[in-house]
Amino acid sequence: MAPLIHLDEWQDECATVPEVEQALIGLRLRRGFEGKRNLRTSVLTHLAWVPQEWQQAATETLAGLAERHPSRTLLLFPEPEGEDGLSARAFLECYEAPGTDRHLCNEVAELRLRGARAEAPASIVLPLLLPDLPVFLRWRGRPSFDSAVFAQLVEVVDRLVVDSAEWTDVPAAYSALAEIFEQVTVSDIAWRRTFPWRRTLAQAWPEVPDRLTGPPAETALVAGWLASRGGVEVSVERADELPAGDGRAPSDLLSEELDVYARDPVYEEAVRTAGRL
Amino acid sequence: MATRSSAPETVENPLVEGLMVRRRPEPCVLTIFGASGDLTRRKIFPSLYSLAFRELLPEQFAILGVARSEQTTDEFVRMMEAAVREFGRDEFRDDVWQRLAKVTRYVATDFADDDGEDRVARTLTDLDHDVGTRGNRIYYFAVPPQAMPTLVEELGERRRRSSEGWVRLIIEKPFGYDLASARELNERLGHHFTEDEVFRIDHYLGKDTVQNLLALRFANGIFEPIWNRQFIDHVQITVAESIGIEARASYYEKAGAVRDVFQNHLLQLVALTAMEPPIDFSADSVRNEKLKVLKALATPDPRVVVRGQYGPGYIGGEPVPGYREEEGVAPDSNTETFVAARLFVDNWRWADTPFFVRTGKRLPRRETTIAIQFKRVPHSLFEQAEELRPNVLVAHIQPNEGVSLAIGAKVPGEGMRVRTVHMDFLYGGAFRTGLPEAYERLLLDAMLGDATLFTRADEIEEQWALVDVITAAWARQRPNFPNYGAGTWGSQAAQELVEWHR
Repeated sequence: MAPLIHLDEWQDECATVPEVEQALIGLRLRRGFEGKRNLRTSVLTHLAWVPQEWQQAATETLAGLAERHPSRTLLLFPEPEGEDGLSARAFLECYEAPGTDRHLCNEVAELRLRGARAEAPASIVLPLLLPDLPVFLRWRGRPSFDSAVFAQLVEVVDRLVVDSAEWTDVPAAYSALAEIFEQVTVSDIAWRRTFPWRRTLAQAWPEVPDRLTGPPAETALVAGWLASRGGVEVSVERADELPAGDGRAPSDLLSEELDVYARDPVYEEAVRTAGRL
Repeated sequence: MATRSSAPETVENPLVEGLMVRRRPEPCVLTIFGASGDLTRRKIFPSLYSLAFRELLPEQFAILGVARSEQTTDEFVRMMEAAVREFGRDEFRDDVWQRLAKVTRYVATDFADDDGEDRVARTLTDLDHDVGTRGNRIYYFAVPPQAMPTLVEELGERRRRSSEGWVRLIIEKPFGYDLASARELNERLGHHFTEDEVFRIDHYLGKDTVQNLLALRFANGIFEPIWNRQFIDHVQITVAESIGIEARASYYEKAGAVRDVFQNHLLQLVALTAMEPPIDFSADSVRNEKLKVLKALATPDPRVVVRGQYGPGYIGGEPVPGYREEEGVAPDSNTETFVAARLFVDNWRWADTPFFVRTGKRLPRRETTIAIQFKRVPHSLFEQAEELRPNVLVAHIQPNEGVSLAIGAKVPGEGMRVRTVHMDFLYGGAFRTGLPEAYERLLLDAMLGDATLFTRADEIEEQWALVDVITAAWARQRPNFPNYGAGTWGSQAAQELVEWHR
């Protein structure tokens, strides 16, 4: 991973959306570090809905992610208890493009949606989306699938990325998740995490263990997958560790989800089944 | 063990769907003839390591190095480990290397006698037994052309006596020296092997950025409608190297730029640029379309094929010797180190559209590009329009891999002045995964039996037919070499080729 070269910043406690866009443009046009030119290359707009309790984890996951997926990242921090307003911090994360005199820059805007602003996030992000590129929404924590805020954001994105391991009500929540599959394409980092486990089970087929032991979300998904694909029902037991993993960091897992565009019927069937088991 | 209930019993494993990222090749042994050479060290083993690193090699896989140099398997493995450490693109991990090292063998023989052949055959049989490679064989010919006929005959004879497993041959360039020798080698191969068992390498086709040319043309709706004589003024294809001949004088003296690069890489780039859309991305669909272009290339007038040889000069501020002063080169050598040509593809799409191609050594910088220059606007509305360059779409194959488009944009302020600006797409900017080495892709494709990125017999013969015409014309005229200085863009005549067109 190339080192972060420089980071230009703009901040406003009481910002408007056009000001954020202007700030991003201004940062991009500014002569870069050591006189090198800044170059924006974007493959997607990455939205992240980050309630207070997830802010630290979200920041850690994002570190270095922009380098793998050059994008405009809009971090939405809902603060419904605050006084109405939008505070914004915009910055560029720039990396040296090997063999060139350019710095490749990713645009990041942290937007604190205070008071009533937290109820209308779509109207804030819509003007900031990069035209004609896919929009991914990483929703931190358990979404309220029937909330107006969730419905608004899902309406403007191409793909919703969740990590159902962050939810406390699995497997019951999977029934609700399954109901939104027709509205938006869903990726689940917990499902990505089970890849090595599923591969091990597939290699052992037709032998299947009687019991699956692991964290609740991943275990429920694998149990749903075994039932839907293989017609095998197994019991589950709770444990902290996955039986098979490859030690990839959360940002690696999210990065892989950002490479996927199509619906995954195997995952969707596993979720539907997990919700019923 | 749990029992199955509702799902129907099927022979196939229902759990694998969605888990197989890429098909893994079948078990096989890769035998490298010429294993002590530079190609094995610099390209083949580092690429095999990268494939092992990504777990793309078959579970049951082995490597047999064959060469004349006397050395043991241990010595060969140590040499290859050093090569992987030096030339590999991935971090060196001992566990990955050990997986390759423990299935690597070496046999010292020139393969011209029965004893050598028998030792190779015995080692392969042992590997089948020890590793489980099931008699499947890939033979990689990293040997000079004169060694190929013997290898083809011997392997063909052995193949006739054995029915176990499949056989594939990977053949390095140069494939022949002229049309007659290429045809003879093709016939010899055809006598023992079918065309889908022969994989002729042109490593340019394994480059991601060359394949991106196909993506650019056929995955984007905006380019294909204007990709023809109506909208394109001319095409320039450049394969420039700043290095000299390194230690390859004995090969290069006989080959020259026309056989070393023009006959293969340059003509393949012309074919990919000019070909019609294939019906799919299968080997024969793509190669059929390339063949049509090669067949449609008009025989060039000798006056529009320019050759050159570098004299002393400077590269990056450092003095470098002329070609005739290079070690192993005759002091009166007339081998060309530069060739430029104006070619025409005589078909409906390209009639009268020149393709300017050039390649050479000791040019100012290393650069492979395909530049599509579009026609100027038919009527200019703006002041100083003569300064405005036409639109140029450039595919940068190497280095700085990417695509750029030159467009006219209004200069801010009063009046209506227009200036040319570049829009750049840098490969490394959008996809920061690192571009694979061409040999990784080609080795893997050969293991999978996919010949899309390899050259077919008829393509090679068409390429040589064109080169034969050029070399025959050259043979009648003595060149006045050297005619360009190292560190310049070739001879004056080459510059004039493009200028005539303007």
